[in-house]
Amino acid sequence: MRNIYRFSLVMFLSLLSMGWTHAQYSVSGVVTDERTGDPMIGASILVQNTTKGTVTDLDGRFNLNFDDNSPATLIISSLGYLSQNVDVSPGNNTSLEVSLKEDATNLEEVVVTGLASTVKRSNLANAVSSVSSRELTGTTTIQTTDGALYGKVAGANIRSNGGAPGGGLSIQLRGISSLIGASQPLIILDGVYINNSFQRTGRATVTGAGGSNQDDGANRLADLNPADIESIEVLKGPSAAAIYGTRANAGVIIITTKRGSEGRTKVSLAQDIGFAQPLRLLGVDGWSEEKINTFFPENRRPTELQRFRESTGTIDYEDYFYNNTAVLSNTRLTVSGGDEKTKFFVSGNINSEDGTVKNTGFDRFSLRANLDHNITDNIKLGVSSNYIKSNTQRGFTGNQNNTGASIGYNIAYVPNYFDLRPDENGNYPVNPYFGENPIAVTDNAVNDSDVQRFVQAFNLDVDLLRTSNSFLRANVAGGFDFYQNSTLVYLPEFLQFQRGQANPGDAFWGKQESFNTNFQAALVYNFNWGKVNMNSQAGMVRLDFTNSSLFNRGRGLVPGQTNLRQASIQEIVDQFNSEVQEAGVFVQQEANFEDKIIGTVGVRWDKSTLNGDPNQYYAFPRASVAFNVANFDFWNSSVLTQLKPRIAYGETAGPVEFGNTFTRLQGANIGGLLGSVVGTQIGNTEIRPETATELEFGVDLGLLNNRFSLEATYYIKNTQNNIQNLNLAPSTGVNTTPSNEAELQNKGLELSLSGTVVDRGNFNWFSRIMYWQNRVNMTRLGIPQYTLGGFGPALGTFYYAEGFAPTTIVGTPADPNHPSGFTVWGNAQPKFNASAYNVLRIYNNLELSFLVEWRQGGENINLTSFLSDAGGTTNGWFGDDNGDGIPNGRQRPPEPYNNAGRWVQDASFVKVREIGLYYTLPKAALTNTFGNALEGVRFGMSVNNAFLFTDYQGYDPETSTFGAQSVANNVDIAPYPTPRRIFFHVNLDF
Amino acid sequence: MHTIQKYIGLSVVAGLLLFSCNPLELDQIDDPNNPSVGSVSENASRSQIQFLVTGLESRHRGYVENVSRAWNTFGREIWYLNGSDPRFQTDWLGQAGRVPDRIYFGFGTTGGGSWANPYQAIRQAETLVSATLNTTVLSTEEQAAIVGFARMIQGYQFMIPANFVYENGIRIDVEDPLNPGPYVPYEDAIRHAQSLLLEADQLLASAGSGDFPLTLTSGFADFTSLDRIREINNAILARTDIYLEDWQGVLDALDNSFMDMDGDLQAGPAHPYTGAPDLFNPLFYVRDAAINTIVVVHPSVLADATPGDARVAAKFFEREEPVIVTTDATPLVGTHQDNRWPTNTTPIPFIRNEELILLKAEAHAQLGQTDLAVEAINVIRNAAEIGDYTGATDLESLIDEILYQRRYSLWAEPWGHRWIDARRYDRLDEINTSFDQGTVFRQFPHPQSEVNWDIYAED
Repeated sequence: MRNIYRFSLVMFLSLLSMGWTHAQYSVSGVVTDERTGDPMIGASILVQNTTKGTVTDLDGRFNLNFDDNSPATLIISSLGYLSQNVDVSPGNNTSLEVSLKEDATNLEEVVVTGLASTVKRSNLANAVSSVSSRELTGTTTIQTTDGALYGKVAGANIRSNGGAPGGGLSIQLRGISSLIGASQPLIILDGVYINNSFQRTGRATVTGAGGSNQDDGANRLADLNPADIESIEVLKGPSAAAIYGTRANAGVIIITTKRGSEGRTKVSLAQDIGFAQPLRLLGVDGWSEEKINTFFPENRRPTELQRFRESTGTIDYEDYFYNNTAVLSNTRLTVSGGDEKTKFFVSGNINSEDGTVKNTGFDRFSLRANLDHNITDNIKLGVSSNYIKSNTQRGFTGNQNNTGASIGYNIAYVPNYFDLRPDENGNYPVNPYFGENPIAVTDNAVNDSDVQRFVQAFNLDVDLLRTSNSFLRANVAGGFDFYQNSTLVYLPEFLQFQRGQANPGDAFWGKQESFNTNFQAALVYNFNWGKVNMNSQAGMVRLDFTNSSLFNRGRGLVPGQTNLRQASIQEIVDQFNSEVQEAGVFVQQEANFEDKIIGTVGVRWDKSTLNGDPNQYYAFPRASVAFNVANFDFWNSSVLTQLKPRIAYGETAGPVEFGNTFTRLQGANIGGLLGSVVGTQIGNTEIRPETATELEFGVDLGLLNNRFSLEATYYIKNTQNNIQNLNLAPSTGVNTTPSNEAELQNKGLELSLSGTVVDRGNFNWFSRIMYWQNRVNMTRLGIPQYTLGGFGPALGTFYYAEGFAPTTIVGTPADPNHPSGFTVWGNAQPKFNASAYNVLRIYNNLELSFLVEWRQGGENINLTSFLSDAGGTTNGWFGDDNGDGIPNGRQRPPEPYNNAGRWVQDASFVKVREIGLYYTLPKAALTNTFGNALEGVRFGMSVNNAFLFTDYQGYDPETSTFGAQSVANNVDIAPYPTPRRIFFHVNLDF
Repeated sequence: MHTIQKYIGLSVVAGLLLFSCNPLELDQIDDPNNPSVGSVSENASRSQIQFLVTGLESRHRGYVENVSRAWNTFGREIWYLNGSDPRFQTDWLGQAGRVPDRIYFGFGTTGGGSWANPYQAIRQAETLVSATLNTTVLSTEEQAAIVGFARMIQGYQFMIPANFVYENGIRIDVEDPLNPGPYVPYEDAIRHAQSLLLEADQLLASAGSGDFPLTLTSGFADFTSLDRIREINNAILARTDIYLEDWQGVLDALDNSFMDMDGDLQAGPAHPYTGAPDLFNPLFYVRDAAINTIVVVHPSVLADATPGDARVAAKFFEREEPVIVTTDATPLVGTHQDNRWPTNTTPIPFIRNEELILLKAEAHAQLGQTDLAVEAINVIRNAAEIGDYTGATDLESLIDEILYQRRYSLWAEPWGHRWIDARRYDRLDEINTSFDQGTVFRQFPHPQSEVNWDIYAED
């Protein structure tokens, strides 16, 4: 029996090899770039419906042998180019010359759809936004990666806390997914779940501003060097992100860094030098004796009049503090290359930027090594290592209480005839208008953060099985992200406010550590089932997150000392540790019928120690289908070359906050003893994650041979089990318990039209216009309506009730006819956003690109002018627009005057975010001058935040004193003015 | 073929390895930062009970900052001038006709220090009582002492929300967080406080003699024995009885209290503030500090003072530079600051001998025992160096005099005496608002969260 089996096997194999020896032909060819005519290295040639293929060599050539004489279709492709299909047979097309066209509309781009598989954009059933390194950093130099995404992702609302150097941005994808916390997208860097949290610095504690959300700390995506990034993919909602499960409610941002490629070793040095100045200042109001007599109380007037008369000149404090020129420098060195077996990409980056406010700045040192090695033909290992050191000096802006340690808050009260500058002996005068001299703070106080970070990723691919029409691959991937953030906020003992304290001098030290690890193992099986290519995958995921923080404070300091042991009052302000474990399994099946119908179904099951029941699996299914109508044989239009209706559905979740299940006995010190006090939260041991379902449908069109493309998407995202604190009757001595009651709905539209408007030999104009809008509605609240956020109804707050957007701004005066009991003054949500990105290329050497964003609608609560009105310094304060004898600053419309409505302002704007102009030296000129020493030289200049057009009465309509929050992220309190950054660039390739 | 087998073999080994330390298995993660409330519900140890007692002292002072600043502003004993947030002026002084709503500034949705905090002390006391009664490590006498102490604090704390919302009434059945009882009128609320104090009195009496079985902070420095704690309890009871107009009750309670007509008027238990890791005295401000946020003496208190009053000299510190804060309505000028606290670690008394003597005067006056009333008044007057009382001795005159003396003797104590006194004698209109053009509030509505709970519970 056994022998018979062996015999037939031998017979079968010899038959196969006979066919192979007797019938074969080969196809050879060369692949070039259509525009430049240069040969293309590494272009891929794949035989359709098989796993057979090859790549082009250094001269763009390839050769492919066929086992038999049957005709085949070759798919010739290269990253960033439109692929071409060529039919070959023994007598036809055996010697090819193929020129590939640039993929201006990104149809060929590969997009991540599973945890271990990818799909071509033209086959995608979701609206996944991709941002290439060209778009991300090609126009100008942006400090942080999230800042480089502004206006480049339809459906993303990005907002900066302020203009302080070192980041501090929040991203909302497709509206509001959660009512609590920051609700930020999950960020995955080369497969590693990286920490992007906003970190406490203690600024809000030391300055009295309030909770740590008013620290204006940076989010830690700031550590990543944007120039290392090859591409960013944004999975905007559950329909695309379902396979990421529990942490994907707010979307997923997948960042892939650059890697080496086979060929000559390339050394590239880039230097940017630039300067920054404030984008917009508001001016301050002047003073007169008449104004003094109006503004100041009677018994104060003589003093003020005397000061006014004796004043030798006025000082515009806004100008003094903010209108400085900061020097910016960014140096990047990359070395990349490799051979067949090993490829490498090494990059170093020194980013050194001053802020426009004295003694502020951001320095980042980053070192990256990405290695790929083929251990055998079947085993590929990739590792990515990144060490970063970021130092941020953020200075003192934003909210404060009593301490005066905020420039904008403080100078709102200082008239321009009073001189706060130090005398020749360096003594700062006492500020009689506020509790502190802001010049002394700016010159001497410290608000620094020092981050050391290491991110390590690995990826192991093992080809387990490969036949002519199937393969089985195992993928094991993961990594870790470790960082330590040391922060210091220091107010020296000689400051005016400190001198008024019992223990002058305040040093607030923080140490925060975060260690995330993730691990994933998957099997991918790809086979052809008739004309349908099937791709199956199954795997598991494990995530571990540990965080610890320790904050100490010393007051009553020895002069000039910040060490805690030099403090008479030494205090442990907070110690907090947390540990989270999560695990999940997933399966996904994709089916592709000749690129005509592409369907995907998948499920992920997750559990987490954050949930009430840590052992319960929650299921997150997805399903999608796309029809490439233009690929069917009956389609015969030369105008509409792509027509792809698509529909996708998916479910995801948002994690429960750590500690929601605990009912605590907290420590409380009193009179030298320690007490245990009953905490004010009752833990909910049945808490579930917030879940979201999303239905997305749309159509993608390719016009005129895909020269233009239009992507239109409509989505309906419903979230359930939204976590919010159920307020208990405070008379029971407890205040809250987390609840899963609320439900939200976000509906929105995203449009993207892109294409090459002009394409002539020496002039090429690419343009992309995007439009997006979102409408959020609380479909169920489940608990009694409430207002929350901001500074209460008198200054504008947010209304949480069924049938209303939680972004609704309400405030005084009371309006009994509205269910909130207050007047509705606005809505933080924009009516729509639109952006335009243009690249113009002349003679292949000169390139101009620019990006403009327009946001229409959406109100801010502008309390910066609330402060300057109280201090009489708002520009135009003493004018009298309605001529009733009361100055503007004391009578702000709408009538009845001086209610919350006066601070709620339309934050519509048009911003020219990026402009870049680059000149690449022609190759011939280069060879003539430098011989072979230089491969390429590029010069350029660029502007970031070039122009702002808005009626908004603030430094920047995009600001948030409370940092990243799902709601109440539009409150403006004396922020750091946004800088305009102008750069000069030199790039040298060796 | 061989390589494939090798890989399959390898992946089986890898698979086995994975399952030996199963990556899908999650550890049990307990709170790494705090013990749970459940840890003391059964068989608590003696040290756990001690921590709960100290915790009760901590919760017991939760009201001090808010009540001192806000209620004393309502009663125009002080202004809390705040250069950074004008609402401490505009809202708390009721400028431009502002009236308290359910989420009034400074009180939030929970009523903050005037509502939620006292109820947290009440809950803490209840947790202490149940832990004490559910453990075997304490003797019956020790249990009585601890429960008595807890009931005393509850009696004290119930008066705070009651006085905050006054005629709107408060909840007194608050043990079950998910099922709080109905609101009862002001009088019933104070009567509930009284009954807790009476229960405490019995428990403390039955706890034997000697020292309180657990350690109390330095706030109870002269009151460590069970007898002395009982005297505090009766002092609080006298305050309760005054609000109930149970004049004889006041006198009876005072008899059992630490009142001493010849003793130190300052004597009494206090909330300690010893500095980090403890808090600092929240009412302390450095003298003459060049700051724009500070509690200042209300100008009417200075204007109405009797020349030579030693209390004025002792309690009010005249600043070199006045503090001025501008508001929508009118600028506020503070010339004097609080001089009662030598340092930022000075404890804040919560009931003093001086108040007890004034309670005695009031009760006697109300009972028509004029001589005894005047005798008590004179103790106060002589201590203030303004001589014996020479005015009329009819009830109204005596009450006028007693309320006047209370303004200076109990100035800005963490209770809002002036506001409560003016209200119980229907004299809110006598509070001087001419310096700030504001209005005087009568009471607050129930905080929004309280109302919301009822709406939620109904659904």
